[in-house]
Amino acid sequence: MSESDPLVTELDPVIHAQARLRVVSALSVLRDDDRLAFPQLQQSLNMTAGNLSVHLRKLEDAKYVEVTKTHHGRTPTTLVRLTRRGRLAFDDYTAALRALLKPQEGQ
Amino acid sequence: MTPIDDDAPPLDPAESLALIERERAKLGRDLAPDPRVMFWPWGIAWLVGFTFLFLRFGPDGRVYVDMPAWLPLAVLPLLMIAAGILTGIAGGRAGSRISGPSTRQGVMYGVSWSVAFTGFSILFAQFSDILSEDRAGLLWAGGMVALTGVLHMAGGAVWNDRDLFVLGAWTSLINIVGILIGPGWHSLIVAVAGGGGMIAAGLIGWLKLR
Repeated sequence: MSESDPLVTELDPVIHAQARLRVVSALSVLRDDDRLAFPQLQQSLNMTAGNLSVHLRKLEDAKYVEVTKTHHGRTPTTLVRLTRRGRLAFDDYTAALRALLKPQEGQ
Repeated sequence: MTPIDDDAPPLDPAESLALIERERAKLGRDLAPDPRVMFWPWGIAWLVGFTFLFLRFGPDGRVYVDMPAWLPLAVLPLLMIAAGILTGIAGGRAGSRISGPSTRQGVMYGVSWSVAFTGFSILFAQFSDILSEDRAGLLWAGGMVALTGVLHMAGGAVWNDRDLFVLGAWTSLINIVGILIGPGWHSLIVAVAGGGGMIAAGLIGWLKLR
């Protein structure tokens, strides 16, 4: 297991970056089809708006999240949602982490 | 704060899993309306309002505190309106952070409360003239408390929230006991056990979220 880091070779690179893992983890709390307001996500993750935007764009490119701009009355709102694909990737990622943990525990 | 593009994988699997759980718990907490704000205004409204009612309209027509009759009849609804506004704002604010099925669920639940109370008010108003003062009072108070209990139980079913269901069942139970014991005592029981139950529910919910 030590020759090549199994974390790098086996885990989804899109959400392996810590910041994006945090974004996807937080969004995974939402129910399917629920969308979260951008400022709330930003506040909960304690990231700057610019930083969060950059990571959301990468997640969007991978089709893991869907970002929609809409209007709440007259104020523009940005809403973020985890796609089916994103949720699947997150579930696979956590399953892979658990699988990596198990053999170590047995040692 | 993490750098803009941290593609570095700094965590081992155990740390990563802990991070995932932390973020999930954090957002879950952030999205839930504060249970104290949702329950304490109602708990206080019931505790104070029904105590006023009990002191002025006691069992068997007793008057423990000689205040004008309109006072408790004004205090209780005013406190309940204030509680409704406070929890409505708090619930609405929590709902505005999310858009989707959960929001619709919350709105439908809120509308159910309004419709139920409106319907019962119109129905009870038809009987106010026929009944004696204490019987009419029992009808109004017992009916509204029954509605509150059942709607809390329904809320527990909607959100799979056992604590909310227990609160509703408790409220329904003490209401029935109060109704059977009779006017006057009903107010005291609802004030202490009903209002107290909601204050306890707010406290328990808050302690669980912390």
